[in-house]
Amino acid sequence: MNEREHEMRRDELSAYLLGVLDPGEVAGLEQHLAGCEECRTELEWLRPAAQLLPETVQRVEPPKELRTRIMDEVSAGAASKRSGVRLGWRRMPVLRPLAGVAVVALLAAAVAGYAISDNGGSGGGDATTVAFGHAPGVTAKLVRDENTGTLRLANVHQLPPSKVLQAWVRRGKRIESAQTLFVPNRDGTATAVLDDMHDVNAVMVTTEPSGGSDYPTSDPIVSMAVPQ
Amino acid sequence: MKVRREKAERLADEELMPLIGEKDAAAFEVFYDRHGGAAYSLAYRIVGERAAAEDVTQEAFVSIWRSGARYDRARGSVRSWMLGIVRNRAIDLLRSRSSRAPKLGFDDEAVLEQRPADEFTDTEALRRETAREVRGALDELPGEQSKVIELAYFGGFSQSEIATMVGVPLGTVKGRMRLGLEKIRGRLAEGLA
Repeated sequence: MNEREHEMRRDELSAYLLGVLDPGEVAGLEQHLAGCEECRTELEWLRPAAQLLPETVQRVEPPKELRTRIMDEVSAGAASKRSGVRLGWRRMPVLRPLAGVAVVALLAAAVAGYAISDNGGSGGGDATTVAFGHAPGVTAKLVRDENTGTLRLANVHQLPPSKVLQAWVRRGKRIESAQTLFVPNRDGTATAVLDDMHDVNAVMVTTEPSGGSDYPTSDPIVSMAVPQ
Repeated sequence: MKVRREKAERLADEELMPLIGEKDAAAFEVFYDRHGGAAYSLAYRIVGERAAAEDVTQEAFVSIWRSGARYDRARGSVRSWMLGIVRNRAIDLLRSRSSRAPKLGFDDEAVLEQRPADEFTDTEALRRETAREVRGALDELPGEQSKVIELAYFGGFSQSEIATMVGVPLGTVKGRMRLGLEKIRGRLAEGLA
């Protein structure tokens, strides 16, 4: 191991734990960590210091109305989940369904970063433009088993600690969270289990803040049509 | 609901997570009551405005609910995981604004005191004791070290941005950040010994 690189990476451990490295730096450091036990040990030793920083802030009592609002939204969310309320993101790119096979090999090659042409309904149509983006190489495979599915991605870039992958499904014109958050492995693979594939026409994955989002906030890194 | 709430109150955070994943509102209510104060305090510390802190807290908790509480034990305690979500959303909000002004101290007279002592649990008492240790360690750091840590964690600034703001080379920022965190960790180890 290059001693100079080792020292450089070791200097990045604190910034990594404080969540201020950019994605490229995170990827480089995690690659180094995979082969450096000394740095892994130091990282785990330092981790509590960073994790306890939020506990040092002076306590400010939240307004009672905030609790009420959150619980109201939670209740409404549970209700909308039951009734299938539409989310704000009305359309996603629809790719031509493949033949009805159990294993759908994906088109995701170079789909990373593609743009969605959606004029918010002003055009009155469902036309979608797919443009190939700047992060080629992502591939995906969906294996269906009755009403569940296993989505396997490959060649996914590493994410900063503040980000996760989130899976979404389209049923008709509705986009819904698949209730699945996941992160890439060190080798660039990532796997998500989709618990309910009933009536799903398409699956996609976006990068979202930790904890996930209520609706997609970034362009999909992969999208695939699901044969019925 | 009352029975379910009482049952949920007896569960550890890690035991609440699967229930929240199954959309158990009583479990989620207990989860919020345990950690909502810390979440809001952290959000307020970062964004410096009550309304924005409320938005960040609400978004974070609702995202946990809607995403099925996908908590990974490997990433630390439930509370650390949740506070990480709050921190990231607060930083995202700061970054979305055209100009960022990190809030580095507490001079807001509206800041309230901690909850009444009769609401303390053993866990909360231990947590507060540990927080005092970390806060003490942070206070004891040389100013240049605590500043870079606060700018990074509570301001979300990159090391390069901090170097520019503070007017020192990037390597110096990295060194201060590392030394500072090591000292906090050392103090924590002493305190827990």
